[in-house]
Amino acid sequence: MTPPRLTPVPPPSPPLEATLAAALTRAQQQVNQVVLGKSAQVRLAFACLLAGGHLLIEDLPGVGKTTLAHALAATLDLSFQRIQFTSDLLPSDIIGVSVYERERGQFEFHPGPLFAQLVLADEINRATPKTQSALLEAMAEQQVTVDGVTHALPAPFFVVATQNPLDLAGTYPLPDSQLDRFMLRLSLDYPDREAERALLAASDRRELIAQLKPCLDPAQVLQLRSAVAGVLASPALIDYVQALLVASRTHGEIRIGLSPRAGLALLNAARACALLHGRAYCVPEDVQSIFVGVAAHRLIPAGTSHRSRDELASALLAQVPVR
Amino acid sequence: MRTTPLTSAQFALTAASVSVAILPHLLRLPWLFAVPIGLLVIGRSVQRRYRAAPIPGWLRLPLILLFPALIVFHYGNLFGREPGSVLACAMLALKLAETETRRDAHAAIAFAGFVLMSALLFADSLGVSLLLLAALSLLLAALRELEVPGTSRPPLVALREDLRAGAFALFAAVPLGLIAFVFLPRLGSPLWGAPTDATAHTGLGDRMAPGTLQELLIDDSPAFRVRFDDPAPPRNDLYWRGPVLWYFDGSAWSRPEFFGSSRAEDELRTAGRAIGYEITLEPSDRRWLLALDMPLAAPDNAVRGADMSLVSRTPVANLLRYRLRSAPRYQLETTLDPVHRRFALELPPGFDPRARALAARWRRDLGNDEAIIRAALALFHDRFFYTLNAPLLGRDSVDDFLFETRRGFCEHFASAFTFLMRAAGIPARVVTGYQGGYYNEVGDYWIVRQSDAHAWSEVWLAGRGWVRVDPTAAVSPQRVELGARAAAGDSARWYQADWLQTLRNEFDLVNRYWNDAVVQFNALRQRSLLTPFGIDKAEDSELFAVLMVLSSLVLALALWWVIRAERPDGDALDAAYARLCAKLARAGMARDPAEGPRRLAARVAARWPDQRELQRLLAVYVRLRYACALPSTTAVRAFARAVAALRLRRSPGVVRPIG
Repeated sequence: MTPPRLTPVPPPSPPLEATLAAALTRAQQQVNQVVLGKSAQVRLAFACLLAGGHLLIEDLPGVGKTTLAHALAATLDLSFQRIQFTSDLLPSDIIGVSVYERERGQFEFHPGPLFAQLVLADEINRATPKTQSALLEAMAEQQVTVDGVTHALPAPFFVVATQNPLDLAGTYPLPDSQLDRFMLRLSLDYPDREAERALLAASDRRELIAQLKPCLDPAQVLQLRSAVAGVLASPALIDYVQALLVASRTHGEIRIGLSPRAGLALLNAARACALLHGRAYCVPEDVQSIFVGVAAHRLIPAGTSHRSRDELASALLAQVPVR
Repeated sequence: MRTTPLTSAQFALTAASVSVAILPHLLRLPWLFAVPIGLLVIGRSVQRRYRAAPIPGWLRLPLILLFPALIVFHYGNLFGREPGSVLACAMLALKLAETETRRDAHAAIAFAGFVLMSALLFADSLGVSLLLLAALSLLLAALRELEVPGTSRPPLVALREDLRAGAFALFAAVPLGLIAFVFLPRLGSPLWGAPTDATAHTGLGDRMAPGTLQELLIDDSPAFRVRFDDPAPPRNDLYWRGPVLWYFDGSAWSRPEFFGSSRAEDELRTAGRAIGYEITLEPSDRRWLLALDMPLAAPDNAVRGADMSLVSRTPVANLLRYRLRSAPRYQLETTLDPVHRRFALELPPGFDPRARALAARWRRDLGNDEAIIRAALALFHDRFFYTLNAPLLGRDSVDDFLFETRRGFCEHFASAFTFLMRAAGIPARVVTGYQGGYYNEVGDYWIVRQSDAHAWSEVWLAGRGWVRVDPTAAVSPQRVELGARAAAGDSARWYQADWLQTLRNEFDLVNRYWNDAVVQFNALRQRSLLTPFGIDKAEDSELFAVLMVLSSLVLALALWWVIRAERPDGDALDAAYARLCAKLARAGMARDPAEGPRRLAARVAARWPDQRELQRLLAVYVRLRYACALPSTTAVRAFARAVAALRLRRSPGVVRPIG
């Protein structure tokens, strides 16, 4: 048999120059050395960061939420601030205040802890809705306005918020509409047996973080973000994303499906995921790998449903055909 | 680069193009030219194949000059259809001899196209035209090979692609070709002047010697086709009148020139309804027109002789169509012209004494004319055999036939009967023509073939004028030894099978349409094309305008089609991928509808690590579907072909390509 001839389809050029791609890979590896056995979640966190979204980590205390945020900041050489949310925290405590300076005879703005490139908002559901919404507004607009003066937040600006889903006494869980502001929600879960043993055997995580060397600088992070925007989403992929949106809206167990903003978030996260794999184009697998993280927290199940949001999101994935 | 040397495949296709262009001419050319031209083409191919020394440069010019010299020597000049085609063939063969680069090959193939089409100057039948089109597609395939050298492909695959591309190009040109055929303003006469130098046509002559009709009787080619206005008369009455022969020299019957002149109209009196019909006569290069007995008038550009035979003013060199009306019941020349009487009684002195004696005895014993005729017919009926294998006759041919051999066919019977009549004092003449025909039900027309050629007699009786007597019909049916066609010989017997005859007769319909629609489409009919649109006689400029508008339209349509075809073909890609997935499913690796192609590829790679082609196909699919906004049609087609070529064996663990 003569081999069938195939007009060669030129392999698409890599989306990044080699040094940047190598640095990105190194950065992920470094974070994985600190947060053991969570490479999928680390990848999602990177995807969220590169797609320009904010990350919500929903999990029990002590599984490494803070470590992940720290490691990200140290690896990417981002300025880092941690805000422990409490019920008496006021918006000005995180944004900053204008103070009257007697010598100069004018008000001067003293920036709050929000003015950092990576902000860890710990236990966000302990703060009052007023403070929460101040944070969420800042997240959405990348800027804050105090006394009529607008102050831009640093770039890149990346918020990692955590909330404890179980300890609900005296908390203000984020309303569904506000959850939409987070591009991605993930849970870290307990480490597996092997990873946990390594964790116990090794030295303190905090020391490890202190020893981390930056692999990327903020300028490169911005460069990566613009590269994400350039990743190709072919018509077939957009069809797929759209089919997922439609399915979420027509599914019997879901009361409120995904919004167009959720669709954009899906696409952007998928693009970032493709970039992390070194591809200049999205494939359905990219969408599938980020779908639960991006979509689950935005789905509002119908009262009759007994399935969790994650399960519903997975059901949608299994239901929508791929071309 | 146009000066790129040719690959062996390119040269081979160019040489093949030149060969097929020359071949139709070669079969026709005199040996003087056919041999050197054929040798040039073959020699050049062999020389290049074995890298032998080429024709030296100093020899080329003498060679180029040699052929015109030979042509002038043979034909007398360089111009005209024959010499021109020889010159073109020779120059084309010489061009092949120096073809080394792509530029040369382009020129050679273009010229081959011209030479190929010039074959139509010699024959324009349907079969020839179809063969030429097939050859033309080979030329187009050669052009494609010049543009897209198939060096990276297996030769057979490349050849198949070239041929397919060539056939497609030809097919795509059909609409434009049709429009140009219909609307390109035509010349009133053929471009190449007098087309009368072809003499291969067969047909009735104005002489009947023993054996002349025999050639015709085994010739199956059509003589003419007839369409009747009303239902046709019975087949037995279809006597198609051709040349009437008066003069007998002892062995052959012929026709004096002066009988071609026309005479007074009142010699033909008719009764009953006239039959209207239209005849389409095949070219014969003779001047005879055929008509049913008896034509009421001559068509345009022809005269009706005193003996009611129709003669065209010019030889019938092309297909000729004319309308006629004939009267089946008639009285012709009730008072015989004395000159005619003299000619109708004349016999060569000193020939055939026994026949004369027999006639004289009849005259003495029987007395009246009708009784003599009956006696002659009775003689034929009782004692004679019909056969195409007639024995040779000696000097006294009529005596030999009547008293010795007694075997023969229509011309023997007509000749002997007419001789007997004249010898008995009854004015008589021989009429040649055709009898009968085949009715094609599908096309509702009659076809009369050369094999229907016939000869019969007319005798003049007082009070009745000229009366048709067919002595062949008098031969007893049992005495017919062999059918006319069966006499052609054993070797051709399969060719004479009844069903084949029927098939040929039915198939003649196609030829008729070809004649009607293509060969007969002349300037006159072209001008009347626009009559339905209110233009009685279309001027060239009007035809040209229609041509331009229509061809622009077709080109615009083609352009639209091309643009549309270049569009991404998502559905085809889906179909090809579905086919691939179906093959995988049959091999035991079903895809979940929600499973993406990369995950599928990962599963396939894990299960069948050595299935490279399969993994490559899946990777190609991902690229076509997701790595580009719009996959190109060619890439999608290539993918589909590769999927179609993929063979997976159903087995639990191992999948191997077959073959």
